[in-house]
Amino acid sequence: MLFVSLFKWWYSDGLHQRALAMGVRLDGVIDYFSIDLLLKTLFQPFRQDGTGKVDGPLDVQIRAFADKMISRVLGAIIRTVILILGLIAITLYAAAFCLSLILWVAVPLLPIVGLVLMILGIGK
Amino acid sequence: MEPRVEFNASSERAVKARLGRKITKPIQMVLIGLTILGVLAGAFMLYEHSMAGWLVLGISAVPYIFYEWWKGDLQKVPVRTGDAIDDILASDILSQLPAQPTPKQIATAVGRVNGGMFFALRFGMTADFLLNVSSDDPAQSGAVWDNALQIKERTGSSHISGAVLSVALLASFTEHESLLAHMNLDIEDLYKGVRWFNHLQELIQKTKSPRRTGGIARDFSFGYTPLLKRFGQNLSEQIGGGLRVELDAHSVALEQLLMTFGSGGRQNAALVGATGVGKTTIVHAFAERLLDAKAKIPDNLRFRQVFILDSASLIAAAPGRGELEGLIMQVLGEAYHAKNIIICLDNAQLFFEEGIGSVDLSNVLLPILEAGSLRVILTMDEQRYLQIGQRNPALINALNRISIAPASREETIAVMQDQLIITEFQRNVSYMYQALAEAYRLSERYIHDLAMPGRALKLLESAANYGESGLITANSVQAAIEQTMDIKVGVASGEDEREKLLNLEALIHKRMINQTRAVEVVSDALRRARAGVRNENRPIGTFLFLGPTGVGKTELAKALADVYFGGEDRMIRLDLNEYVRPEDVSRLIADGAEDPTSLTAQAMKQPFSVVLLDEIEKAHPQVLTTLLQLLDEGILRDIKNREVSFRDAIVIATSNAGADRIREYIERGYKLQDFEKQLTDELINTNQFRPEFLNRFDEIVVFRPLEKNELIQVIDLILAGINKQMALQKVTIHVADDAKVYLVDKGYDPRLGARPMRRIVQRAVENLVAKQMLAGSVVPGSTIELTLDQVTTMLGGAEKAQL
Repeated sequence: MLFVSLFKWWYSDGLHQRALAMGVRLDGVIDYFSIDLLLKTLFQPFRQDGTGKVDGPLDVQIRAFADKMISRVLGAIIRTVILILGLIAITLYAAAFCLSLILWVAVPLLPIVGLVLMILGIGK
Repeated sequence: MEPRVEFNASSERAVKARLGRKITKPIQMVLIGLTILGVLAGAFMLYEHSMAGWLVLGISAVPYIFYEWWKGDLQKVPVRTGDAIDDILASDILSQLPAQPTPKQIATAVGRVNGGMFFALRFGMTADFLLNVSSDDPAQSGAVWDNALQIKERTGSSHISGAVLSVALLASFTEHESLLAHMNLDIEDLYKGVRWFNHLQELIQKTKSPRRTGGIARDFSFGYTPLLKRFGQNLSEQIGGGLRVELDAHSVALEQLLMTFGSGGRQNAALVGATGVGKTTIVHAFAERLLDAKAKIPDNLRFRQVFILDSASLIAAAPGRGELEGLIMQVLGEAYHAKNIIICLDNAQLFFEEGIGSVDLSNVLLPILEAGSLRVILTMDEQRYLQIGQRNPALINALNRISIAPASREETIAVMQDQLIITEFQRNVSYMYQALAEAYRLSERYIHDLAMPGRALKLLESAANYGESGLITANSVQAAIEQTMDIKVGVASGEDEREKLLNLEALIHKRMINQTRAVEVVSDALRRARAGVRNENRPIGTFLFLGPTGVGKTELAKALADVYFGGEDRMIRLDLNEYVRPEDVSRLIADGAEDPTSLTAQAMKQPFSVVLLDEIEKAHPQVLTTLLQLLDEGILRDIKNREVSFRDAIVIATSNAGADRIREYIERGYKLQDFEKQLTDELINTNQFRPEFLNRFDEIVVFRPLEKNELIQVIDLILAGINKQMALQKVTIHVADDAKVYLVDKGYDPRLGARPMRRIVQRAVENLVAKQMLAGSVVPGSTIELTLDQVTTMLGGAEKAQL
């Protein structure tokens, strides 16, 4: 009865718990790289540099506009770099997540797999 | 009643729980060790071309599976839905119970788990205690399960925890009510204890869950704030690490803050409430909420940061005229441009004060607040808010007011329960539930400068210094308030104090002659108070002493202050002949900062004392009306509307009214008790006192004039006092009996009672002794015998000198 309980748990609640725990970690990675924030604010000036209302002659205003544009471009570059790094990290983590679940499903089968491999003499 | 539930020890959950318990730490280590060893051995064998390595690798998964099963399922077998005990009983208890457990076995199991230990610590319901109230009969367990189910439902618990079972075991004991009363508890308190335990479990779960605060790019779109970092504290940076305590009591104010800043109106909020209600705590909680990526808050508030401006460093950095305004504008400008800053002016009145050495930034801040574009939170107390409103109505109109009311008892206890997690951690102590309840009760009565929950928290924190072996009980809280306020709040327990109380009359009579009835009623009142048998919502006793001058009315008050309250300086004395005008009421209740001699100020400093209201008949009727509440409820509100408690004081009013009538009655041979009622009626009928005033006193005690033989005893008391003074010189004075009679004859005045006696004795005895000492006829260790002749000569000489 206990073995039945074990296998029942392993493929139901156990698998679910595993997925949840991995999901929480994946969520942490997504939060760490602020993916949604980066997307929402991709073209916003970086650190509010060059922002603010500027009054004055046309050349001053043009310079302020240029400053703001530079800040936006700089912001977009930095955000894009982090976005790319973040997406790579998330993809890798998601792959690890899937692999971990597959391994979880496979673990109870390992003794049988081991026995089969031994009999077949794989790697000899 | 037949028990409706049974315990099934063979259910799958029970079997799993028992198996989980068997997998102890060493077994867990073995399982992990075998897994690692198997993997390593298998890999090595394969490296060595041995095909058995595959099998070893595969088999090494078996201990790993068992370990994971234990970790995810057996360690804490999840509760199931249903009404069967074994479905909803906490796994840690379930794992310990045999097939047919007795209540004693249940108690033993409860004593070993968190819930049981929680009740042992917080309520004193230890494992031994539960064993003592539990039976050995397995048939009785049904009743325990039955109670546990009811308590689970009543407390909204998700399962039957050790805490629920602790209460159920006690509730199954027939005499549990008297047992609880002995512990200063009732069953409702235990239900609150279960809820407290559940709440702590939730807090622990919340602390374990990871915090999402926006990540590395969170502040990319917001400006730098070097000035703000210099002149303020970033509350948002202080968040994180340690325990997160969310106070339910503040949730309404928090929602209001979110609504104010989340809507499109003026972006400011004034948190108005008395000191101690938790205004700053709300700002901290608000800052924490804004940084929580998972919180349900408007997007335009997410990841905004709250800075508290530091007024002292701002003022210090801008000493010149107009510099401060300039600096503030720079700081606020920086906050505005950064786009993610909410400025908090804690104790905002500091920024709007008039006068020398103060700062009034109304002109700078008003346009900003009116424009409503920079988010600002102000905190201030009600009084200051009204004062600012009086001076500058436009400023108040520009603010969105959020009132923070003082917390109720339930809320305060809940706040204490949350807050003490931090205090316990910092001070390495543990608080019992009774300490919390006592902290609320005592702080409400004795701490006036703070509102709830601040005042209760303050007392709870100071009680940490009075714990026994780190455990803070109701007694620790009492000791804290007794030490800090210099009062007595507990029931008399010390042997010395009990002796003193039982022999109070004899002790008072050591310095007072006769007036046995007065001494008795006052002593009885004090004994009632210290035995805990009295109305706690009134003064210890209120007495009106009636009688002629010099019969001991004031002396009794002094004697009481000296004998019981610890010295004559423990007497708050007010001569009401100084309160004869209606405007004198304000002097009576003046703020201690302005007039430390006012009645309320003195009682605030010294609540455990004798309050002597001398010559009460001379006070203005409005003054007497003011005193009515004091006599009735033991409360007087001072000029700032703070409640000042007189509930630990004995209030004694004295009056000479009716002195002539008392003398008449005594001369006609009446006994005191015979004419007391009649005398009171006469005082009312002759309009000397209003009936509603006299009715407020517990007792009206009539003092009778002293007779000549009693005055001899008075002389003995005065001589005893003189001898005490002379003890330094090692000289004793003895006055002959006939000389004493002569002194009484000379000093007796029916109108002035014993009052002239001290003067006469001083003139006769002290002068005579002084002369003898100066003449060198007295050596240390000698006794001076004063005869009638000497006293007569001395008084005669003095009289001649006076002529």
